[in-house]
Amino acid sequence: MTLDWSIVPASAGALAHGALITIALTVLTMAVAVPCGIVVALLRESRFKPIAFLATCFVELFRNLPIILVVYWAFYVMPVVLDLSFSPFVTGLVALCLNNTAYNSETFRSGIRSIRKGQTEAALAMGMSEGQAFRKIVLPQAWRRVLPVLATTWVTLFKDTSLVSVIAVGDLAHTAMQIRSQSFRVIEMLTAMAAIYWLLGYPQAKLADWIHKKFGVTE
Amino acid sequence: MTIATAPQTAATVLQYRDVQKLYGDFVALQGVSMEVKKQQVVCLIGPSGSGKSTLLRCTNALETIDGGEILFDGVRLPKDRTAIRKVRQRMGMVFQNFELFPHKTAIENVIMGPSTVLGLSDEASRDRAEALLKKVGLADKAKNYPANLSGGQQQRVAIARALAMEPEVMLFDEPTSALDPETIGEVLNVMKALADDGMTMIVVTHEMTFARRVADHVVVFERGEIIEQGPPKQIFEAPTTARTRDFLGHLGWDG
Repeated sequence: MTLDWSIVPASAGALAHGALITIALTVLTMAVAVPCGIVVALLRESRFKPIAFLATCFVELFRNLPIILVVYWAFYVMPVVLDLSFSPFVTGLVALCLNNTAYNSETFRSGIRSIRKGQTEAALAMGMSEGQAFRKIVLPQAWRRVLPVLATTWVTLFKDTSLVSVIAVGDLAHTAMQIRSQSFRVIEMLTAMAAIYWLLGYPQAKLADWIHKKFGVTE
Repeated sequence: MTIATAPQTAATVLQYRDVQKLYGDFVALQGVSMEVKKQQVVCLIGPSGSGKSTLLRCTNALETIDGGEILFDGVRLPKDRTAIRKVRQRMGMVFQNFELFPHKTAIENVIMGPSTVLGLSDEASRDRAEALLKKVGLADKAKNYPANLSGGQQQRVAIARALAMEPEVMLFDEPTSALDPETIGEVLNVMKALADDGMTMIVVTHEMTFARRVADHVVVFERGEIIEQGPPKQIFEAPTTARTRDFLGHLGWDG
């Protein structure tokens, strides 16, 4: 078997573009799924039961479906049922956001619950509103506690973005697979793809480790 | 040596009339009636779970009552959330576990009330906080985070934090129960100084020496009821009920 690695540098431009798409997907998903996760977590804790119920349904639905299925669903079903159709990139983004919002909401909910009730009471006792007590006292503390978990979610998400390649989003995985099938350089392209994912993922994992160390220990 | 003894004619700050509180089937307060006059120090004593802390928490509506009424400055505690915030701003509360905000420095903890709730300028809030930290003897710890303060220091910051709202009454919920014995004194000294300044205070406490020396009025709780109340001299030297004598006896208190 002969290997021809020249395909890799020859495809450098396309792979770099794919890597950028992958990074953009990761960043945008988190940018949406973190605030949405906080909102869903709050809705689940709502005193108004139907709202809490709907939020719970959302979380349990998207947390327990394989991402790839949500991706297909967003691509094939959403346009038909909801009459919404987007570009593959946005469609993939929607699917990743749904899944990550569900995960993040659980992360935030446990973080918020881990803050002693006395902290809220101390804030209320000085005359703060419940909203102020949450924003100024509970959330900043919860945030610190969930940061290590969010970092892990980030690293997982970075790899999971490859699942949107099934709907032809031009991310790294899809780009590499395209070049593979056009050039028949299977081993070369799969190896290059693994190397790029690893090289990009490793520093992120190390950063997550550092965040774990810095913020993981509480009190 | 007691300095500020409230005159009998002083205005009533808080009045409790037949206050009831239930937790499911458990009766936490059954018909509690008492009053607190301006500049008075009222100590609530009694066994754990006898309803002292519950009454204190009902006073600023951290708990709601199920019967009777609580009047603050002659007005019944409101149910409306915005109105209750206004009431809370006029009461300071100190908790057993301090409940300082761990993500804020000592001075930031004290600044928070004036700046966030009262809407004072940053400069005015800071000036007020600095003066209060000085008052509780912690001017040099202003930039410390709570984790880097001893229990006694944390509780003194918590007292400064409550005072920063310039409250009309201070509520202390077992302020020294979570402290190491060697730091209890510094907190009690701050409280004593506050009492001498004429602050109206309700103190839930197991510190009988403090109750005896600083209180103007002592209220003994048992099983959600007041079993006896009166001046400390009466409660500690000539209790009129056998149950008070029992309670004090269990503490090894012999006058």
